Amino acid sequence: MRTIALVGNPNSGKTTLFNALTGSNQHVGNWPGVTVEKKEGKLNFKGKEYNIVDLPGTYSLGAFSEDEVIARDFILSGNPDVIIDVVDANNIERNLYLTTQLLEMGKKVVIALNMMDEAERKNIQFDIGKLSKKLGIPVIPTIASKGIGIEDIMQASIDMIYGDIGTGSPLQYNEIINHHIEYIENVLKDEKLPYPIRWTALKIVENDEEVLQKLEESDISDDSMRNIEDFFKYHSSENFELEIIDSRYAFAHRVTEGAVKRPQEESTTLTDRIDRIVTNKYLGVPIFAIIMFVVFQLTFEIGEEILGEAAVSLIENLGGLIQVFLIAIKAPNWFISFIIDGAINGVGAVIEFVPLITILYLLLGFLEDSGYMARAAYVWDNLMRRLGLQGRAFVSMIIGFGCNVPGIMSTRTLDNKKDRMITTLINPFMSCGAKLPIYSVFIAAFFPNHGGLILFSLYTLGIMIALIMAKVFSKTLFKGESSYLIMELPPYRMPTIKNVLRNMWDNIYGFLKRAGTTVFAVVTLVWVLAVLPASAEPYGQFTILGRMGTFLAPILMPAGFGNWQASVALFAGLPAKEAVVGTLGLLYAGEYAEEGSLLINSIQQHFTSLTALSYMVMTLLYTPCAAVLGTIKKETGSIKWTVFMALYTFAIGWIVAVMVFQIGSLLGFN
Amino acid sequence: MLKDVLREINDSDYISKANIAIKLNRTEGLIEDAFSQLIRMGYIIEDKGVNNCNISCGNCPLARSCNKEFITSIAITEKGYKLLQK
Repeated sequence: MRTIALVGNPNSGKTTLFNALTGSNQHVGNWPGVTVEKKEGKLNFKGKEYNIVDLPGTYSLGAFSEDEVIARDFILSGNPDVIIDVVDANNIERNLYLTTQLLEMGKKVVIALNMMDEAERKNIQFDIGKLSKKLGIPVIPTIASKGIGIEDIMQASIDMIYGDIGTGSPLQYNEIINHHIEYIENVLKDEKLPYPIRWTALKIVENDEEVLQKLEESDISDDSMRNIEDFFKYHSSENFELEIIDSRYAFAHRVTEGAVKRPQEESTTLTDRIDRIVTNKYLGVPIFAIIMFVVFQLTFEIGEEILGEAAVSLIENLGGLIQVFLIAIKAPNWFISFIIDGAINGVGAVIEFVPLITILYLLLGFLEDSGYMARAAYVWDNLMRRLGLQGRAFVSMIIGFGCNVPGIMSTRTLDNKKDRMITTLINPFMSCGAKLPIYSVFIAAFFPNHGGLILFSLYTLGIMIALIMAKVFSKTLFKGESSYLIMELPPYRMPTIKNVLRNMWDNIYGFLKRAGTTVFAVVTLVWVLAVLPASAEPYGQFTILGRMGTFLAPILMPAGFGNWQASVALFAGLPAKEAVVGTLGLLYAGEYAEEGSLLINSIQQHFTSLTALSYMVMTLLYTPCAAVLGTIKKETGSIKWTVFMALYTFAIGWIVAVMVFQIGSLLGFN
Repeated sequence: MLKDVLREINDSDYISKANIAIKLNRTEGLIEDAFSQLIRMGYIIEDKGVNNCNISCGNCPLARSCNKEFITSIAITEKGYKLLQK
């Protein structure tokens, strides 16, 4: 039985054509030794039965993927009688690269120029006769999905099998390559080869490692092998592979020239026109700032003021119901205290910020999916380059806005130590999502009408400190040249609801999981320390926690918030930043339990607008959480740098917070 | 064509395959193909950030949102610069 093989680029409609040819008469197995699916089927055409094999979709017939090797081996060793090369009419020039490789193999090929309906809609016109003439093989227009052209393609294939039709125009390479191919052909002319001699010679010149290995394993003589090795020694500095690939592209271009007519494309795309403004040297950063300001404003207006209040009521009502229930079942007092003060006031204080996180990541997801965030990174990349820094570092910084752990991990792709270390050391100044609840509590307490502005200012301050420190490090600790990476800007597109919602949910999920694990564990520990020893008044200054806070408070006194609760909350934020709010919730709510005060009311009792601001600045900049420190240890492999990170960020946070408070006090702010 | 694409990468502030396609009078699909070939042959390297990392995420709560990077960067290798100088 004659065998017809189907090859083609992925998404060229090859499998649709296979289904149209074989109908239900097909079976699916695996290619020997691999898990790649092998589809075979039978077709009865004009009284004769043919075996149809659907080869894996591939862009080329090199040896760079399993699919390519399977397709190539079958064509060369499976000896199909004819190959139907399924070419996507919409991408003909790209698809013809594979065709040129089939022609190089000297096989009988018929082209199914598929998806002609789509091409027609795009107003792409074909001169089929010219195409066929230039390629030297039949070209049959098909619309496999509608069964159009199926009979014609089969007839052309059968004519090819039985008729006296040539096997296409051989490609022309440049003179040097032709000379080398001939030289190798001459070396191999008396050898028994696993593949056709000319193709083997071409692949040797192209330095195809799989073919070279197959030759070594074959019965080829030592003399021939030595000659081939000498050839590589002699020409080691030359790269014929590039020339050969270029020849294939040039051939494909020549074939389509005059035979394929595309509608005139505009010289500038819409993306281009938008980018001229958005990535402008002078306008880029201000536009970014305006967009981020709007994002924070909307986040605060919708996430905190509208949805946030509903979340607070929900948690409070839930806490009330649980408390009533626990009293009703006569649960021990310590257990009620743990559930209400620890879990509800502590973890609940964190969960209340889910609406805020939801809106922020919804808006950021929208920007990301539209392609704008890549522009933002490019704009900052430019600015950082002007500061003599690695521009790509800003990508790690943007990732750090979500979480500093992946932000730092992304620095491993930077190819020199200077860039990696600087980017790692400045990443924690990027305000991660876990710090949002802290800002939100203080904003709600002191700046309810300027939430967006305060958030925006904090994020901007983080970026500014990061840039300053990067410059300082590049001038002191790490000197040397930065590597040069060029960013790819994808075209703008309408964000898809699915992508945006998935991005948002992934972030909410992470936030909730942290609240239920790390934050819960920290708050539990804080609760235990806040009620022991039993002789001390719970949540008072003489508990273990109170004593710890009292010890830390003087250090933070110059920043204006030297009360023990605020100090110990910062300390509790080291395992996870959300725990700062959890701890404040637990301590202040515990302290004012009998008055039933809310966390925000309690904070208003202990802070002023100015100390609230310096506290937010401290939480923005001070020592990153344990997960980040662990990542730094892992990535730098150094305890020294990990300790340095913990201490220097604390010092920066302290200095800036003290400056905010002291300068603010001097200017008469309260 | 590959060398032309490489030169375009070298001369650009940022990479837009659509722009390169217009400039070289080729289709965007073909330019994408050229990028793949240049990467495979070691003339350029593509940096997709942590997308290709082999870090085990374990129970990290942020695992689902961590490995997402919206930016691809390209760097021309020494081999690429040598080709441009030829």
